[in-house]
Amino acid sequence: MCKMLLIGVLCLFVQHFRGRKNRCYSLAVRAVRRAFVYASKARKAKRRNMRTLWISRIAAATREHGMKYPALVHNLLKCSVQLNRRVLCDLSITEPRSFHALTALARARQQEGLRAALGDGTEPPGVFSRITQLQ
Amino acid sequence: MSSFSRSAQQWATFARSWLLIDARLQPPGKIATMCAVRLQGKHKPIYHPLSDIGDHVVVMNTRHIAFSGNKWEQKVYSSHTGYPGGFKQLTAAQMHKKDPTAIIKLAVYGMLPKNLTRRTMMQRLHIFPDDVIPEDILKNLTEELPQPRKIPRKLSEYTQEERDAFPLLWNP
Repeated sequence: MCKMLLIGVLCLFVQHFRGRKNRCYSLAVRAVRRAFVYASKARKAKRRNMRTLWISRIAAATREHGMKYPALVHNLLKCSVQLNRRVLCDLSITEPRSFHALTALARARQQEGLRAALGDGTEPPGVFSRITQLQ
Repeated sequence: MSSFSRSAQQWATFARSWLLIDARLQPPGKIATMCAVRLQGKHKPIYHPLSDIGDHVVVMNTRHIAFSGNKWEQKVYSSHTGYPGGFKQLTAAQMHKKDPTAIIKLAVYGMLPKNLTRRTMMQRLHIFPDDVIPEDILKNLTEELPQPRKIPRKLSEYTQEERDAFPLLWNP
């Protein structure tokens, strides 16, 4: 009786397989074990793949605004803007104006040294340049 | 994914645009990278390798491409016909004389990802040796991309006043 339950449970996983793997018990057991192994490895690889996808999307969006991805990330980090790549990617797709504001912030932080050396000491317009302390 | 928001989609997000690049006096490798990026769709924030969101790219004036250095004589394109004694080697100059579009085509082919979508992307690349482009492609063009290399002026294009005003470093 227990064996029949196990076979029933196996059938649930094997419906979409090709060939005798979806009909014959011995072949199905082996195929299902391989499938479970691939699924476990893929759960780890999914996190890596999602991150590379986010990075390429953010890079595309920053290049639209005239900057490069490493410059954006490094300067946002220096400004202590702790947005992760997932959020940055979503902003770049659905909130283009906010993303443009972030690139402007990163560009201002990037050019801070040059502005201090060559400019006239005024703060860049339209950028929060001091972290305000809550009282 | 839990962070999908239900904001409205922008107009024509997934449209396939037609881009034009003028390759006159430009390095073919830089032209090829620009083409490859846009054929794959990597210039769009909605990029995904499976979504087929690349654009069409039209390259014109490939007859007037400009390799830097001595690459016209030194760069060798090799191929093998499969038959014994069929190893062929052509310099870039010979290849260009035989087919003015081949250099850009091979460069872009090598820069695209080596998977089954590469052939469809190559079909979306249109290369013309001169600036004669067919009517139906001309009607589709939406944007011209800026050239990667700034073309330096020839000595004959400088006026006599500019030549005199140029600072003299030493007297020969």
